[in-house]
Amino acid sequence: MPQSIPIQDSPPWAILTAARLRRLRDPWAIFAGGMLILIGALFLSAATAVLWQSLPVWRHAGTDFIMNAEWFYRRELFGAAAMIYGSAAVSAIALLVAVPLGVLAAICLSEYLPARLRWSVKVLVESLAAVPSVVYGLLGVLVLREWVGVAFEPFGAWTGDTLLTAGLLLALMVLPLVVTLSDDALQAAGVNEREAARGLGLTRAEAILHAALPQAWPGIVAASLLALGRALGETIAVFLVVGRMDSQLPERIFSGTPLVEPGQTLTSKLGGPETHLAMGNALHWGAIMGLCAVLFAMTSLCVLAARALQTRWRDGK
Amino acid sequence: MAWAVSVSTARAEPLRVQGSTTVNPIVTEALEILARENGLDFRIDTLGGSAGGIRAAGSGTADVGMASKWPNEWDRQTAATVDLHTTVIGMDAVALVVSADVWEAGIRSLSREDIRRIYENPGLRWSEFGGPDRRIVFFNKESGRGTWSVFAEWVYGTTDNAPPVSHPEVGANEEVRTKVSRTRGAISQLSASWVDGEAVFALGIGDESGEVIHPDADSLARGRYPLSRPLILVTDGKPTGAAAELTQFLLGPCGQDLVRKHGYLGLEEAGL
Repeated sequence: MPQSIPIQDSPPWAILTAARLRRLRDPWAIFAGGMLILIGALFLSAATAVLWQSLPVWRHAGTDFIMNAEWFYRRELFGAAAMIYGSAAVSAIALLVAVPLGVLAAICLSEYLPARLRWSVKVLVESLAAVPSVVYGLLGVLVLREWVGVAFEPFGAWTGDTLLTAGLLLALMVLPLVVTLSDDALQAAGVNEREAARGLGLTRAEAILHAALPQAWPGIVAASLLALGRALGETIAVFLVVGRMDSQLPERIFSGTPLVEPGQTLTSKLGGPETHLAMGNALHWGAIMGLCAVLFAMTSLCVLAARALQTRWRDGK
Repeated sequence: MAWAVSVSTARAEPLRVQGSTTVNPIVTEALEILARENGLDFRIDTLGGSAGGIRAAGSGTADVGMASKWPNEWDRQTAATVDLHTTVIGMDAVALVVSADVWEAGIRSLSREDIRRIYENPGLRWSEFGGPDRRIVFFNKESGRGTWSVFAEWVYGTTDNAPPVSHPEVGANEEVRTKVSRTRGAISQLSASWVDGEAVFALGIGDESGEVIHPDADSLARGRYPLSRPLILVTDGKPTGAAAELTQFLLGPCGQDLVRKHGYLGLEEAGL
């Protein structure tokens, strides 16, 4: 196992060792470094452009842009809170459904299936992860939308286009990702500890629970955070079933009723026609760019958190 | 939005067309066909919308004005020295459609006041309007669309007066028809050419005197159905030359197909 370099304990300039500086003469290192700088520059300029273009709305609404729920462009009302809530709600539903199911499926896949069957199932799951989202979206319109509308009517649903529908559809979409990454994490968990556990007389289930899962846990959390990032950013499937109802911020954020009502997410707004209407009007366009900036910040946080957990997991081992 | 297209051909004077953005896509496509087939030279823009088009035709700065409304008194006065001639090429009508359960429960018409209440108060029940005890699900057409504008202008006078409301939103006509037909208690605005009487049902509009007007060919032709607007070409006197070529083309089968292709009612469906 490679030893991790304790960078944290040395000053930042310690990475510029003589050996590393020598390597800079290597043409491949120069090429790779150039690419890295190019990608970094592209990323930074995109982020700067989005923030820069969103300035008019911050000047117009200030923090109300993220605190206020009312959005009606004809009256220059630009409050994104309802959309932030919508995005968070559908992603939370997706994770609550997909993570327990996905982890259980991964345990079955990794610990119980014979190698050859495991391989075929894994290929199947990974190809499910690659199905275009519009296909899931149409399935959602055809099946899920109808089902939610009828099944949740006693709980207050008055149409099938709800935050819940979007959340369940997202759960279906991120499930393959959770399964395959959790399976990888379980496979990477040490064989020695597992065998020692079995040797001590633990049953297979106990060995999984007490030896494999604790080791795989950070990987599973990282997988869930990647799934969260995907759920937050998904546009077309959500657009088709979420109802696109503006300005709906529930009085009690954590009550269940608003979930069986239509709503709007950041992506369903950005995927809609307002993006085209906004062009040419600096404030309206700024508001659209502001939504992009908020979404960007939310997904970046997920990816950063996933990375940090993975690093801790690797260093902690 | 103002833009211009010009195609150079052998003819000396290009045909100048100006006006409504609603009519513009149909006329532009017709002009492009005429340019290809007959070498017609033209210049088209949408400066000033319908009012601008009528004024330009009246003042002679355009040969043909495009408008999605009838010239009113003010338009006629500003063009008093000329003989404003209108040619209707089609109609744009917006129907208020409901799902089968609402229709079968006996809801056949609503007044403008009813619609305003439903629009401004999400969560009302059909029982308030003599229907079943079921929540009214208003699917609002995206507010950038022409259909929504016709609706908002009818209820509130101008689109700017329409208040901020919170309803689930729908976009294309296909989506409206699917969602209304598959949601109980649903109502929405839909271009009249999409009403079929099987999946979705068009309500009549009750006027002040209690009379109900349905979006059928007869009331459209007589200009009685309120949620409609004509698609017209305005000229100074009867169209002549290239302007006549354009109007004749649009009134013919090819031109009428163009009108339908852009989602409006042809003269036949509009009963004209």
